[in-house]
Amino acid sequence: MTNASAGTELGSPLPAPAVAEARRARRAASRTVVRAGLVWTLVRTDFKARYHGTFGGFVWALLKPLSMFVVLMAVFSFLFASNPTYKLDLIVGLFLWDFFAEATRTGLTSLHAKGFLLTKARCPSWILVVTSIANAAITLVVFCAIITVFLAGAGHAPSLAALGAFAAYCLALVAIVVGFSLASSVLFLRYRDLNQVWDVVVQAGFFLAPVIYPLGILPERFHVYLFLWPPTPIIEFSRAALVAGTIATRTAHFYLALDAAVCLLAGIVIFRRFAPRAAEYV
Amino acid sequence: MGLIEVDAVSKAFWIPNERRDTVREHFLGLLRPRRFDRLQALDAVSFTLRQGETLGVMGRNGSGKSTLLKIVCGVYAPDAGKVIVRGAVTPILELGVGWNPELDAVDNILLIGSVMGLSLGELRRDMEEILAFAELERFANLKLKHYSTGMSARLGYAVAFKAVRDVLVLDEIFAVGDAGFRKRCEERYWQLHAQGHTVIVVSHDPRTIAGFCDRALLLDGGRIVMEDTGVAVADRYVSLLTSGS
Repeated sequence: MTNASAGTELGSPLPAPAVAEARRARRAASRTVVRAGLVWTLVRTDFKARYHGTFGGFVWALLKPLSMFVVLMAVFSFLFASNPTYKLDLIVGLFLWDFFAEATRTGLTSLHAKGFLLTKARCPSWILVVTSIANAAITLVVFCAIITVFLAGAGHAPSLAALGAFAAYCLALVAIVVGFSLASSVLFLRYRDLNQVWDVVVQAGFFLAPVIYPLGILPERFHVYLFLWPPTPIIEFSRAALVAGTIATRTAHFYLALDAAVCLLAGIVIFRRFAPRAAEYV
Repeated sequence: MGLIEVDAVSKAFWIPNERRDTVREHFLGLLRPRRFDRLQALDAVSFTLRQGETLGVMGRNGSGKSTLLKIVCGVYAPDAGKVIVRGAVTPILELGVGWNPELDAVDNILLIGSVMGLSLGELRRDMEEILAFAELERFANLKLKHYSTGMSARLGYAVAFKAVRDVLVLDEIFAVGDAGFRKRCEERYWQLHAQGHTVIVVSHDPRTIAGFCDRALLLDGGRIVMEDTGVAVADRYVSLLTSGS
């Protein structure tokens, strides 16, 4: 029943002498400043609500993948004793995976969690989704610093080119996560067990992506399928750049960029399709 | 040209005979098609609101008042028709604004104030005034989950009254707080009115519509059945209720 002309438009404000004083007072607060304030407040309050506003709370968030790393390294370093860079590969894979899993889980439920803002005012819903992954992104940035120090300590100090490539891979991962979050956040409002479905996928995906094992142990004919799982190329290319010091080919980069662009665009298309009615499903 | 132009707006909700909110329920129900009943919340509603006017909206429960407000505020999208809003709308819907119960009053004010279009600088500058209006200075650092319904509602009104730029939308005006708070709300309302702000008020209280609104609409079954002065519409609403028709 949707009419093509249906919609709410914000036109240019009328000249209003009676409220001119109020307008002048607000003039300094441009739309951009207000939006920036909203983004900052969302990120800050998310951080505060999640970590109780303490540094200790944030350290606790870092301990989760760190403890996982210690346990997995203790067990699997025996299994892959012939691989001298196993622990370096493991830490790179684990931290990237942790960001992917954490950010997609939070992004999926972001609109539902911020429903109190959607139903009571006109709120740019895409900002709610994108800012929801900020906490995981902050953790990723801290992990990047830890990884660099860890690699340098292990005698594999990455070159500037390798760090640049790694930064580009992280950006591609963020684009993939944002695309997934945009799509899944609006779908979650209609399918409330989507988070449970995603939990199962993430659990299986942890073993599908070469996080705890080197990709080389699997027959090469399966590699192409594993690379269809978005975290796989990110983890493999990052390991190659940071640990082995080799940069993936241009073709490989092209496919990664295409992968990220398709995920992001698909997310935007699905979001634009369902977001206008999101408040009705909160 | 009005500040708000609502042109033939319609909105319907499809009510299923069985709710399916999960992937599992949809999957298991693949072979059991659902029946949907159409609930026409609004049917070709049109009106124009000029700068500085106060419009009252009355109607029985289920007449479409809240849906109309949500469409004007941009929370809901209409199925058909068009809404043009030439200004910023500050809403207080369903007796409040949205709060995060895990945050204290200060952070919630910063959050909802930002959504309502205030900069962080303005919000920090006006923080004490907002808290004082709501009489919640002592509880500024208390999480909202520990607030009573009345305290939350007072805080919502305090933020919205401060955030008004062009249009204030009030669902059940002055229905919260004690006599002192309601008096302050009324004073603030007249202050905004005198400044030339535009207000839309939804209420079941005939005295509110008759006393505060220049013009009013009476909704019934999603249609405007009367558009007149606040006093006339309030009288008609009372007779509609007492006649039971």
